[in-house]
This record gives sequence, C-alpha cells and structure tokens, in this order.
Amino acid sequence: MSEVAVISTFGNDDDCARGILALHHARIHDFRAFFPFPSEKIIEAVNHVRGWGRSPVRYWQLFGGIIGVLSAIALTFGTSWEWNLIVGGRPIISVPPYIVIMFELMILIGGLSGLTGFFLHSRMPVFDPLPGYRSRFNEDKFGLVVECDETAASRIESVLRDAGAEEVTREALEPVRDNH
Amino acid sequence: MAAAVETDLQPRYIDVDRQVQRAMAPGGLTYWLWVLFCAFLTALGIGFWTNQVYKGLGVTGLTEPTMWAPYITNFVFWVGIAHSGTLISAILFLFRTRWRTAIYRCAETMTVFAVATAGLFPLIHLGRLWFFYFVVPYPNERYLQPDFRSPLVWDFFAIGTYLTISTVFLFTGLIPDCANAREVATGWRKTLYSIFSFGWQGTDRQWRNFQMVYLLLAGFATPLVLSVHSVVSWDFAMTQLPGWHSTIFAPYFVAGAIFSGCALVLTLIIPIRKFWRLEDVVTIWHLDNLAKIVLFTSLIITYSYSVESFMVWYSQDPLELATFHQRYFGPQGYFFWIMVVCNCVIPLLLFSPRVRTNTVWLFIISIFVNIGMWLERFVIIAGSLATNTMPSQWRFYTPHVTEIVITAASFGWFLMNFSLFAKFMPIVSMTEMKEGISWLRQAVRTRYPYRKAA
Repeated sequence: MSEVAVISTFGNDDDCARGILALHHARIHDFRAFFPFPSEKIIEAVNHVRGWGRSPVRYWQLFGGIIGVLSAIALTFGTSWEWNLIVGGRPIISVPPYIVIMFELMILIGGLSGLTGFFLHSRMPVFDPLPGYRSRFNEDKFGLVVECDETAASRIESVLRDAGAEEVTREALEPVRDNH
Repeated sequence: MAAAVETDLQPRYIDVDRQVQRAMAPGGLTYWLWVLFCAFLTALGIGFWTNQVYKGLGVTGLTEPTMWAPYITNFVFWVGIAHSGTLISAILFLFRTRWRTAIYRCAETMTVFAVATAGLFPLIHLGRLWFFYFVVPYPNERYLQPDFRSPLVWDFFAIGTYLTISTVFLFTGLIPDCANAREVATGWRKTLYSIFSFGWQGTDRQWRNFQMVYLLLAGFATPLVLSVHSVVSWDFAMTQLPGWHSTIFAPYFVAGAIFSGCALVLTLIIPIRKFWRLEDVVTIWHLDNLAKIVLFTSLIITYSYSVESFMVWYSQDPLELATFHQRYFGPQGYFFWIMVVCNCVIPLLLFSPRVRTNTVWLFIISIFVNIGMWLERFVIIAGSLATNTMPSQWRFYTPHVTEIVITAASFGWFLMNFSLFAKFMPIVSMTEMKEGISWLRQAVRTRYPYRKAA
C-alpha cells in the first residue's frame, strides 16, 4: 500500500488548532503542525493531543547550570589550593569573591547546554524539507500534515476540510520516512 | 461590521514579512558610502593602534597617575551600551511587554557588537599585546597567580559570559526569521539564511523547544545584565581610590548603562525606520515608550549624582572632598558640567509628549545623552585617577591624537558591523510581530479595548 501525506493549509491559528482537535477526535494522532509564529492556541492543542508537558530543554539548562557552578568551584578552590599564596591578608579560600565566578559559569554553561538541548530535541539541523512542508508555513499560513495509507486519506481530508482548512492536497511519500 | 473593523485595524502576517524583507534589500549608494566611511574610521584606528603597539604606550597621553583614562572609559561605555539590549530583549520579554517586539532585535544586535567593541579595549590598553594570554585566569605552570579575588578576573568571566550569552540569545531568536528570509532569498543570501536557520521549518516540536530555550535564556540573561555592569563597577569601587570607593557604584552603573543603551537604540532605530521605511513596523508608540525609559533612568542617574555628592560632603573625608572639588571646579570641571547638562537637564525635555513623539527631537536628545554618558565614565575614571591619595602626584590627563583616533575608530567599527548586520539579517523580529498581530486579532474579536490591545 502506498503512503501519502495529506497537506492542509489554514488561514489562521484558530482554525489550525481546531483541525488538530478534529484529528484527535477522529483518532488520528500521527500528524505534524507547521506554523509561522509560536501560537499559544496551536501549542496548547498539540500538547493536549500528544499529552506533552513542558519541553525537556529545561533539564539541559538546569544540569548545565549545576555543572557550571561545580566547574567554578573546582577552578577557584583548586587553583587557590595549588597556588596557596596569601594576598592582602585574606584567606586562601575566599568564598564570597568566588561566588561571582560561580554565577558567571553557571549562566555560561547553563545557556550553552540549553542551546544544545534545543538542537537535539528539535532534531536540528534539518538538511531536507520534511514531507508536506511548504514555504508559506513560515510566512502566513498554518499547516497540518498527516502521513497515512492512501486508503485513509479521503477520510482525513474530509476531517480537515470540516475543521476549516482553506486547501487540502495530497502528496505521494518517498519509501523512507522521516519521523519528525 | 465586526469583520470590517477587523480588516481595517489589522495588518496581515505577510505585510510584516514584506516590510522587513524590503529593509533587507541590497543597499543603495548612500548605504555603502556610510559603510565605507565607517570602515575608513576603523582602518585609521587599526593604523594608530599598530603604531602604538610598535612604539609603545608613550605615543598616548597615558602616564602616571592616569593610566586608565580613555581606553577604559571606552570599555565601560561600550559595556554599558550593551546592557539596554538585554533589558529590552530579555527583561521586557519576561514581563510580556508587547512594545518590545519591533525594536528588540535592533537592541540585541547593538548589544552583541557593543560588547565585542568593549572587549577590544583591554587589548588596546595593553602595552605588550602579545602577552595578553597572561591575563587569562587559568591554572598554569608559569607561576602566574590567578587571583579569583580580583575584580579584574571577575570582569574577564563576566564579559566573556555576557558576550557568549548575548550572541546565543540573538542567534536563537534569529532562527525562525532566517527560515522566513530563506524562503524568498536567492543565491548566496539563500545559503546564508539556510545556515543560520539550521533547517528550521516551524514544526510543533521545534516551536515547543524554541519557546522553552528562549524563555530560559531570557531568564538567564536577566540577572546577567545586573551582574555584568555591577562587576564592571567593582573594578573601581573595590579600590581605595577617592572618587571610586563607593557602595552606590553597582546600581548607579547599571542605571547608567540602561540609560545610555536605550539612548543609543533611539540613535540607531530612528534613521533605520526612516531610511528603510519601517515606519509602519517601528511606530512612534515604540519610540515614545523607549523615551520614557530614557527619562526614568535619567532621573535615577540624577539622583545617583546627588547622593554621591551628598555622601562625600557628609563623610567630610578630606581626600574625597578634594577629589570632588577638583571634579566640579578643577581644570577639567567643564567635563562634569557638560555631563550634568547632557544626562540630567536635556532628558527632562522628554516629560513633554510632543518631544517624545518627535523623531528629530528624540534623535538629538539621544546624541546628547550618549555624549553625556561617555563623559560620565571619563570624569569618574580619568578625573579620580588624576587626584589620587598623593597630591604630589596629581596630574590631569590630556588626550593625544592616538587615543582620539582609536576612540573614533571604535564608533566606526561598531557602526560598520551594526549597519552590515542590519542590512543582511532581519532587523525586526517577524515572528514576534506576527504573534502580536494574532494577539491583536483576538483582542478585537473579544472587544477588548483597542487602546490596551494596541
């Protein structure tokens, strides 16, 4: 059985969110939404349908921040022990000034780690357009793409049209699928 | 009827794209002459710097006791300029302030290039540049003591982190806009935008992670704004020098940084919106709000100047009194009074809504503020060093041509980079503008009062 991508185009985020919920009610869960700006309505609908919580990128940032603080402790304490020269009569380990270094490295490593998490979880960089992607989805249109068997395509097209899609088209898929 | 109102009030998403993409169209003769002029200034500065490296710091007016005069003034000035960029992009983002959308990219770009410019000055200030790596605080076997108790080492970490996080924040925000630009670009520009968009296609998965990383980066950048300029102020306040050793320095420097940075955003955005016809995107409303921040921070600065002077008078410390007497009435006292006029008096014009909504007035006031803020750093740094704890050493700094040219070149370098970036990258965030339009549509649909929605 050949596989196709049913590509629906919506004029606004309300209709697109409605389309997502309509697919959910029709028990169609294997879809992908494209939208030109972070629409709360679409994101809420997607989270509801997929059962997603908050993005795991936050853990990357948290652990990066912790690693940053630990690195700063290692750097400042370790260096002071290694070169234990008394400066200005102050203790070898002077914690208050080291807090500045700990703070800065927490931000630095936490930020870079969050960025790494973002790229990994978003599966970026992407070198080829995903099935059903249209350039207008980055401009002014909202898209819902469902990959399915050709036999199920008609039902999905009808669900999407009923939800308010401006245009619904069908595209044959390559045999190898990308699961983005 | 409701539909008609909706259509009249609201631009379409595609209109935002078209306006911003028009600003990214190849520059005309005037644009390239401007870039060439900035490049010429930069080249001149590089020439004078090369001469300084070859002949030594003797070619400058730097001598005991004012070894930190103009170069560190430039360093603090440019770091300060950077701060408002993060304020506008990160702090106002966290507060969900809608007016930031049209101007925050410009402010972020300014931040990155201002920090990059600031970072050059510790290098320029070094007599023997090739020993720069001695400054880098890392454990080593050359018996160089990395003293983490020194504010200069804190500065190294603070500026390095600030440059990195600001750059990451700017380029993360650019990803969806570069993807948008990629769709209409051709040739090498398409390649450029494809690289910076990392294959972004705006899927639900990408947006979900994008929103989280952007929020967290904003959350990280916010305390960073406060910490970096506090650390810069401690370069001075942690010493015992009269005129520097003050507890008010950290908040005073942070407020000054936001003041000067917002003024420079006005200086940059006003010509951009006029010459690249972005009046519909960057409206008078945005400039008005920015002007209110400038006015508010000007009042904080005025208060800080007053408190600083009061504390000196109240302490009756003879050295502090002598330093401040020299600052106000000494041979270079006119710098202080020009500074007061530029930072405390001229911004008071912004109390008038007519001035705040007049771009010519705003542009002129922003220039004065920047002159005033440069002088503030000069007065604090060079003025205090000139009148140290040994009156027999007192000597006021006189600039030589090398420092003047290198200072001018720093402006040329900054403006050249900014102008090139603004031409080739989306200088207004298209995605956030569209988000604003969507929000406005929702507001109109639910009959939310239009003034609030706007």
